[in-house]
Amino acid sequence: MVQNLFYFLTFLTLLSALMVIFSKNPIHSVLYLILTFFTISGHYILLNAQFLAAVNIIVYAGAIMVLFLFVIMFLDLKKESEQHIPALAKVAGVIAGGMLLVIFVAAFKSMQTITPDEASFNSQIGLVTTLGKVLFKQYLLPFELASVLFLSAMVGAVMLGKKEEGERNTF
Amino acid sequence: MQLTLLCALVPLFPFIGFLVNGLGFRNIPNSAAGVISTASAVASFVVSVLLFSNFLSGGSQPFTAVLFDWVSVGGLKIQFSYLIDQLSLLMLMVVTGVGSLIHLYSMGYMHHDEGFGKFMAFLNLFMFSMLLLVMGSNYLIMFFGWEGVGLCSYLLIGFWNKNVSYGDAARKAFVMNRIGDLGFLIGIFLIINTFGSVEYQQVFPKAVELFKAGDSTVFWITFCLFIGAMGKSAQIPLYTWLPDAMAGPTPVSALIHAATMVTAGIYMVIRSNVLYTLAPDTLEIIAIVGLATALFAASIGLFQNDIKKVLAYSTVSQLGYMFLALGVMAYSSAMFHVMTHAFFKALLFLGAGSVIHAMGGEQDIRKMGGLQGHIKITFLTFLIGTIAISGIPPFAGFFSKDEILMHVYEHNKLLWALGVVGSMMTSFYMFRLLFLTFFGTFRGTKHQHEHLHESPLSMTVPLMVLAVLSVFGGALGLPEVFGFNHQLANFMSPLFEHSKTVNALVGAKSALPHSTEYALMFVSVMAVALSMTAAWVLFVKKANVPASDETLDGMTKVIYNKYYVDEIYQAAIVKPLYSLSEFCHSVAETAMDMLVESTGKLVNVAGNGFRQLQTGIVGYYVLAMVAGILLFAVFTLRSVLF
Amino acid sequence: MLSIILLSVSGIASLFLGFNKSRSLLMPATLLFLLVALAVNLWDWNVPFTLSSAYNNGMMTVDKTTIVFSAILLVSALLVIPFSQNYIDRPQAQPAEYYAILLFALVGGIMMTAYDNLIMLFVGVEILSISMYVLAGSDKRNLRSTEAALKYFLMGAFATGFLLFGVALLYGATMSFSIKGIADYTNANVGNLSPLLYVGIVMVLIGVLFKVSAAPFHFWTPDVYEGSPSLFTAFMSTVVKTAGFAALYRLLAVSFTGLYDYWAMSIAVVALLTLVVGNITASHQHSFKRMMAYSGISHAGYLLIAVTAFQNTSQDAILFYSLAYSVATIAAFGVLILVADKQQGSEDFSAFNGLAKNNPFLAFVMTLAMCSLAGIPLTGGFFGKFLIFSSAFAKGGLNWLLIGAILMSAVGIYYYFKVVIAMYIREGKTEKIALTGLQQAAFVLSILLTLLLGVVPNLFADLV
Repeated sequence: MVQNLFYFLTFLTLLSALMVIFSKNPIHSVLYLILTFFTISGHYILLNAQFLAAVNIIVYAGAIMVLFLFVIMFLDLKKESEQHIPALAKVAGVIAGGMLLVIFVAAFKSMQTITPDEASFNSQIGLVTTLGKVLFKQYLLPFELASVLFLSAMVGAVMLGKKEEGERNTF
Repeated sequence: MQLTLLCALVPLFPFIGFLVNGLGFRNIPNSAAGVISTASAVASFVVSVLLFSNFLSGGSQPFTAVLFDWVSVGGLKIQFSYLIDQLSLLMLMVVTGVGSLIHLYSMGYMHHDEGFGKFMAFLNLFMFSMLLLVMGSNYLIMFFGWEGVGLCSYLLIGFWNKNVSYGDAARKAFVMNRIGDLGFLIGIFLIINTFGSVEYQQVFPKAVELFKAGDSTVFWITFCLFIGAMGKSAQIPLYTWLPDAMAGPTPVSALIHAATMVTAGIYMVIRSNVLYTLAPDTLEIIAIVGLATALFAASIGLFQNDIKKVLAYSTVSQLGYMFLALGVMAYSSAMFHVMTHAFFKALLFLGAGSVIHAMGGEQDIRKMGGLQGHIKITFLTFLIGTIAISGIPPFAGFFSKDEILMHVYEHNKLLWALGVVGSMMTSFYMFRLLFLTFFGTFRGTKHQHEHLHESPLSMTVPLMVLAVLSVFGGALGLPEVFGFNHQLANFMSPLFEHSKTVNALVGAKSALPHSTEYALMFVSVMAVALSMTAAWVLFVKKANVPASDETLDGMTKVIYNKYYVDEIYQAAIVKPLYSLSEFCHSVAETAMDMLVESTGKLVNVAGNGFRQLQTGIVGYYVLAMVAGILLFAVFTLRSVLF
Repeated sequence: MLSIILLSVSGIASLFLGFNKSRSLLMPATLLFLLVALAVNLWDWNVPFTLSSAYNNGMMTVDKTTIVFSAILLVSALLVIPFSQNYIDRPQAQPAEYYAILLFALVGGIMMTAYDNLIMLFVGVEILSISMYVLAGSDKRNLRSTEAALKYFLMGAFATGFLLFGVALLYGATMSFSIKGIADYTNANVGNLSPLLYVGIVMVLIGVLFKVSAAPFHFWTPDVYEGSPSLFTAFMSTVVKTAGFAALYRLLAVSFTGLYDYWAMSIAVVALLTLVVGNITASHQHSFKRMMAYSGISHAGYLLIAVTAFQNTSQDAILFYSLAYSVATIAAFGVLILVADKQQGSEDFSAFNGLAKNNPFLAFVMTLAMCSLAGIPLTGGFFGKFLIFSSAFAKGGLNWLLIGAILMSAVGIYYYFKVVIAMYIREGKTEKIALTGLQQAAFVLSILLTLLLGVVPNLFADLV
């Protein structure tokens, strides 16, 4: 059952990922990307990492992709425009991609599969409870201080975004 | 404890003077500013005298006045302390004594200048730094003073900053001094590294313990320190700033660029005599550099027409003599010459200032002449100074220079012969200067002639005092050959205790028979008299005036009044000399300048190159950063990767 | 530790103070917050802080070193704030936000000085950086300011990526985020270290070296420093740099002492490159502010020498140098802010022409600051350099680096004195500039500190 589900999800992931690349309409592309994220979250759930699955959906599918959509709609990129890519860039792209492929192949070749040690394996490690315990006990200080980071960023965003008196509205 | 307080007071007085004048120079009237700064200089002179008498009555024991703990890094502890011994006391007397006189003189000379208060403040600051330099008990304090005097010299050369070329001169002085300072600083670090201390009284005994003469460590230390001395004391190749530095007001030239600051390098070598004695190779270099500078600068000085330039080249040349003395380990003779030189060169500069004052700012000796009747005191004192520097007995310069030459003779006879040639040149250019300025007929404008006047008392009193010192200064070190006990050498001999253990020659009595000494003296006096006579014939009897710069053939005018003998004389002696002088001045000096300045140019070019890397385009920055990251990663990972 | 909490709370408090129509309360309040934070910070001097382990769990250490580093950050901030007067007086200014973000940035800075855990380091770096991105762009009407913010953000994000990746690799290699845990791992597995660790170190180093603007990761610095409002440039070039060096030295000293041979040479090369690029480019600038940016780069080079020397005296040298450098830099920027305000915003050397005539005090402050930065004796900068050089000399084998550094310090004098020449020698007209009481106090304090550091360095060198 789980295995079938895994194959189904993998198929879906690959398909939607390919569709991201092949669809001509950028909005479709983004939507496919969202689908990809959902399917990956599915994988996380299969791995018993509930928290990661949730975060993946909230952050990537929820926040970042919506941002993408906004930008695309703002810039009105619906129409496909044939961009001219210089030949040199194409060659560079091919070389870079090829090297990445080499690295992947090399990495896969030297990959070993590790079976988890039954005795010390903690099946609860990916659960929200476990994570929460670590976060609120051991890592409480950085966790709290991260709020300062967000507060600072938020104040900054508001400050930079606020319309000043007498400022011309550019939109 | 009381002694410590006295020591602390010596540099403190000028510093207070600097603070008062420096912070309030807008609000303090000129007269008060002058009095304050002069009083502070005199006060520190008085305290120095007290210290001196204390020292003598206390059995001449060196005394270290610890003010506070200064720096402690790891094992290195440096105290802020002053060392009172024979050497620092002598320097104290010169610095505060001559310094006070020059402060007094400046009150008259600079009175009408709008920046008078600022000027006096800088002078005080200079005194303070110079006192730190000579009183400090370790190399770090010396370095502080060293930098401080450099900074003041920079500020004072550029004092009349309206003129752009003056600003350039100031910058040149600063840059050249910095090159020297770098050597000095590296030397200090080497000392720290080698001895774990910078205190003189710890370093020197240790040096004798640790090293034998000729050790390469000591060679590098002394060599680096000597680079510092080359910059500060204007030796080849770092000397060209000193003639240019004459752009500053004349009292500055007298105080900083003749009497005190430029002798800092000599002070440093005498202070570190143990190290230098341990490094015969460095000494050899010093002797050669010193002699080369002495001859080179003297030959340029032969045909200069700016009254201050002549004196400047003369200073460079005299400094060369001092280094020559150091090079042959005649440390106390060098110190002797430092002192007498301080007297007569300060006198000459101040006299020149008085002349310039009388001439309303004219510095070209071709436009002077016949001044002796108009400014009598200046003339007489200048005459004394000229005789003293030329080395005519029994004036001060004779004894000190002769002592140096004698030691050089013992060391190497060729060097001695060259030294005598140098002293011939000295007497020639000095008498040429004297004759052209004070004898003959007046060649300036009518307006200048009407305004010729003797300087005020505040300027002539220092002249007179210095003249007296120039006459009798030689009494400090009357040689044994005349049946005297060389007081200065005896006084200074404890300074060379450690050196003596390394090399018995240091401070030893001359082994020459008296007859040789007499002969040497006779030769040098005759040589000097000969060139004096030559100058007299040329510039008084024949009343030759150097051709103005516009004349293409510089010699045509000189050969105006010809006799057969004269022509031979011109062709055989004067013309070659003139060409040599011209060559040294225009070709060699320019080459040296270019050498130093090309370093600056290189920096400029590189700076421009780097600046153009900064294009402002983010994509380019990222690319550059990626390249940097790759290089950094590969370089760091090299041991893991390869 | 307590100061972090205090600063976070006071940042929020200052936001609330912004509701008040009157802006006059904000600056005094911020200064008060900072003073209290400083007092609280020093409170722990003799009593190492031990709050319940629930908070501390090996996340940060409070000892004398970290207290002194934090104190330098706080003092720098205290000295910078008075010069914000002109900036917040503009009608479109949003002072409450500026101050709040500055206070938050300090939280990040203190975390970087005292972290025990790489997570803390990362969060600290991020707090500081994000705050600085925002402040760099806070002059919204000025295109250069916006440009600076964007450049800083883009390049900074790039570097942060490296830092984070490096942290992850270190965790992967050592199974620990704690810097002591990493040290335990490296000590236990000498000769058998995972390659991940080496790569991790490189990446973390790149991230931190970027933040302290060492060459060749310095390209953002001149543009960002020049474009940002001078007030925040002063903050960036002092607080960020000090915090960055505290972090760098702490990481290397605690975790990677055993791997000295592995990283030292790279840092030494970077140090020399930084010195050369910083000093030589600085000598060729027309804008004083841009010169100060390059000067900031060159000082990173000197500090890197101390890192390379890695002696027991090196940390003292870094502390001393950071303090002397920060104080002098802030004084220089203080004068720049006041002068540029009177010269239609011109930040060139020519803006300083003839400053000494009507503003002798400002000219004096600037001269002293330049002397200190150039390392002229009797100022703090000299002993900073002296301590650094002597610790490197004591290490031995670094003579090539030292001779380079000493040569470069000579170049430094050339460009620092350009402004002094402009002030005292060139002709120009500057009307009398009025100073507020706080600005005077800040100047006087910086003069005093610079001179004290230069005359009685032992007062400070003995502290740690």
